[in-house]
Amino acid sequence: MFLRRVARPLMMMARVKETTGIVGLDVVPNAREVLIGLYTKTLDEIKAVPEDEGYRKAVESFTRHRLKVCQEEDDWEAIEKKLGCGQVEELIEEAQDELKLIGHMNEWKPWGIPDDYECEVIENDAPVPKHIPLHRPGPLPEEFYKTLEAVETGTLKQAISASEKDDPAIASGESQAK
Amino acid sequence: MERSEHGNRSDTNTDYLFPLLCFLKLHTYTRVQVSIDICGVDYPSRKRRFEVVYNLLSTRYNSRIRVQTSADEVTRISPVVSPFPSAGRWEREVWDMFGVSSINHPDLRRISTDYGFEGHPLRKDLPLSGYVEVRYDDPEKRVVSEPIEMTQEFRYFDFASPWEQRSDG
Repeated sequence: MFLRRVARPLMMMARVKETTGIVGLDVVPNAREVLIGLYTKTLDEIKAVPEDEGYRKAVESFTRHRLKVCQEEDDWEAIEKKLGCGQVEELIEEAQDELKLIGHMNEWKPWGIPDDYECEVIENDAPVPKHIPLHRPGPLPEEFYKTLEAVETGTLKQAISASEKDDPAIASGESQAK
Repeated sequence: MERSEHGNRSDTNTDYLFPLLCFLKLHTYTRVQVSIDICGVDYPSRKRRFEVVYNLLSTRYNSRIRVQTSADEVTRISPVVSPFPSAGRWEREVWDMFGVSSINHPDLRRISTDYGFEGHPLRKDLPLSGYVEVRYDDPEKRVVSEPIEMTQEFRYFDFASPWEQRSDG
């Protein structure tokens, strides 16, 4: 009994992730160590690519950035928030795939494109007939941006109470639905 | 590379098709994990008459990309089944409908045409009604295929209207 009372405040320090929410993607408990290992391995393997290749520069830049963030932050949640690239399990998957890709690139060696090579871009201005749907998302409503700003600056509760004063009927209806 | 209202398309050489698709699938900033469709188009006036179109989707970055390669009747394209397992059936369909085959494909069979069908239906030189018709023959107690006999001549409708075409018609 005493052990449990002592253990509980310690467990509160690093929240254990229960599920990733993605089917087939299991939670990796020691994600930070795995990520650091994968990123150092990536930086090692990318040395096989010739120095001035765009691919090498790109991979090195984002791998270094992610490695730095992983080493600075101790907690998986802090890593996720700081990188802003999804969950740590997804980052692990991406790192593993990038390693595979480096292996493939070393096999195929698509190097040697001169820097000023521009691939031909054809601008096709043909109008689309009106009955064909274009997958273009519409502009988001203004309320969304206001709420987003409020969440970022931490004034969400004030914004909610301000809107409640304007429409008490809607607010009470919402609270009843909850 | 083509940029248009319809979306972005990219043309490539058949030699580099497989590396390009593997790159698109594995690279961190282009995570294209899903192949939506692989289809073919027949342009009989071109030297390399078929164009094989790969429609791909990146669920991570919410974007689609279309990769096209050209092939003629004897070119064999490399199968992309190892990065995209769903491509098995799409490539079978391209083979069946157009005759563009793949080297080392794990399972290249016909998929939509009848058993023993000769020809590749979606090529522009195969007529709309085909060459054979099938019927059940009662004395022989099986389905027989015979050269086609159409009771009515194939009619061609010219849809050009005497009225001016409206843009949203």
